[in-house]
Amino acid sequence: MKRLISLIVGLLAICGLLAYAGHHLQASSGSTGSKVLNLYNWGDYIDPQLLTKFQKETSYHVNVETFDSNEAMYTKIKQGGTHYDLAIPSEYMVAKMKRAHLLQPLDRSRLTGLRNYDPQFMGRSFDPTNRYSLPYFWGTLGIIYNDRFVRPGTVNHWQDLWSGKYRDKIMLIDSARDIMGMALASQGQSMNTTNPQKLRAAEQKLTRLAPNVKATVADEIKMYMTQNEAPLAVDWSGEAAEMLANNHHLHYVVPSEGSNLWIDNLVIPKTAQHDRAIYAFLNFMAEPKNAAQNAEYVGYATPNRAAKALLPAAVRDDHQFYPNTTTLHHLEVYRDLSPTQVGLYNDLYLEFKMHH
Amino acid sequence: MKRRFANIYLIIVFAILYAPIIFLIAYSFSQGDTMTNFHGFTWRHYQTLFSDTRMLAIVANTLLIALLSALIATLIGTLGALSITRTTKRVTRESLLTLNNVLMVSPDVIIGASFLIFFTMLKIPLGFSTVLMSHIAFEIPIVVLMVLPRLREMSASLLDAAQDLGATTRQLLTHVIIPFISPGIFAGFFMALTYSLDDFAVTFFVTGNGFSTLSVEIYSRARQGINLEINALSGVMFLFSLLLVGGYYWIQQASQKRRQRKREVVS
Repeated sequence: MKRLISLIVGLLAICGLLAYAGHHLQASSGSTGSKVLNLYNWGDYIDPQLLTKFQKETSYHVNVETFDSNEAMYTKIKQGGTHYDLAIPSEYMVAKMKRAHLLQPLDRSRLTGLRNYDPQFMGRSFDPTNRYSLPYFWGTLGIIYNDRFVRPGTVNHWQDLWSGKYRDKIMLIDSARDIMGMALASQGQSMNTTNPQKLRAAEQKLTRLAPNVKATVADEIKMYMTQNEAPLAVDWSGEAAEMLANNHHLHYVVPSEGSNLWIDNLVIPKTAQHDRAIYAFLNFMAEPKNAAQNAEYVGYATPNRAAKALLPAAVRDDHQFYPNTTTLHHLEVYRDLSPTQVGLYNDLYLEFKMHH
Repeated sequence: MKRRFANIYLIIVFAILYAPIIFLIAYSFSQGDTMTNFHGFTWRHYQTLFSDTRMLAIVANTLLIALLSALIATLIGTLGALSITRTTKRVTRESLLTLNNVLMVSPDVIIGASFLIFFTMLKIPLGFSTVLMSHIAFEIPIVVLMVLPRLREMSASLLDAAQDLGATTRQLLTHVIIPFISPGIFAGFFMALTYSLDDFAVTFFVTGNGFSTLSVEIYSRARQGINLEINALSGVMFLFSLLLVGGYYWIQQASQKRRQRKREVVS
């Protein structure tokens, strides 16, 4: 019994020590003061050095909290009990949050960096007048090929994947909207089609792709491709950038006839409390130098035109990740479809997976 | 022959259990940035880890939550187990146990979501206190389950004998029951500790306002691919748990020796 009590006391002492250490660590980075900004972000999606710089310049400390999916973030914000000042949802989630009245409109008169943004990424269908959101990073859906198995230049379009040469050679990302969208784009249709006939035609076309498909996988696709397991894959540019960094035989192509454009955006949730800090941060991140530094750290494409100009030429002129204007014009942002329409996409995709 | 086969089997099982951890830690010394190829030795990832104050604060928070919640849950759970065994009516006892087990088997996601709704309904701001409370709540059933079997093993005659010798109720508890069930209590405490350390589903729902734990942080880094700083952190945590287990073993050995010596003196 005595031993038990001394153990409890010891544990409490350790707890006290830990509480002190945790508090001290947080205080040393200044997060307990009143001048704070609560940022709700994807994990490792901002250069930590920028946060230090922001604090030095404005004396606002940024508390970063992280989420791992749009849906999880939505739930947390919708339920309340939190005080996030800024969040970074993807485009379809911006539309959803807007409809659920979870967002505050931006006060344009307080934004100084608006003209730095490329108009290509402004005013898209999910927020036509950018009343609620500013673009943070963007990317595409495309084809990754390994030049050890596929001659460079032979795969440029979605249609090329249907070639008889690639039997059992393609890996697909397991996502209904993206794979159905790919089939639609290959037929010259919009990736947002809600016409059941066109969708069925796309599904039939997908079924013809089945013999070429080696596997439909999720995140593992990165690992397989870096280890030369498959010659071809369909995946997002963010994932592709990481694969390319680890295997120099890999290349990324955005089909010029059309593909998906995704955009992650900065928004102000209804729960925001630190008005001044928010605008200071938005303006800080819009500054070309900072946006460029962030883009170099994260490795995604920046929607900030002035920042892009500051990136090394090798990055800036890389058509894999900054496609040329014609291709860019053919890219489509996914529209937020109604539940029944999403259901149709999912059902048809499931049928394709069953064939396969 | 049979002996040797048993040894080989044991070695294989342990190798399989430990290989992933060792693999992970080995790569924390790699000069590269990913786990695909090993590129020569460096301490770099440990340097970034120890200069990342946000990460260290999260580690401190996680350990604090784990220790404190395990401690409180062990207290409450042990008392709960005591009262469950003392219930004489069979129906009540069984239903109490079933209620306890339902919490054990219900999915973490459901528990997490219900806590989130509960806390926001009561207007409790999410953060340290909500994480602590929910961890205590899901650890209690585990402690109860670990302590109960020890209580069942205890024969009633032991208690009768103590009472015959003039032990008060209080002495009965502190001198007979608790020493007897302490292995169960320790087991419960350590189980609760590990449950708390690696819980993601419940914690995710109830964190907020700048407070975060390791599992939530690591999960949300997965979108970008986990960097080797996490490997370095795993290495440190593994060393920490080795020290913990070693310390526990050493304490046990020491107290056993002391007890033996006492017995020798008595005889």
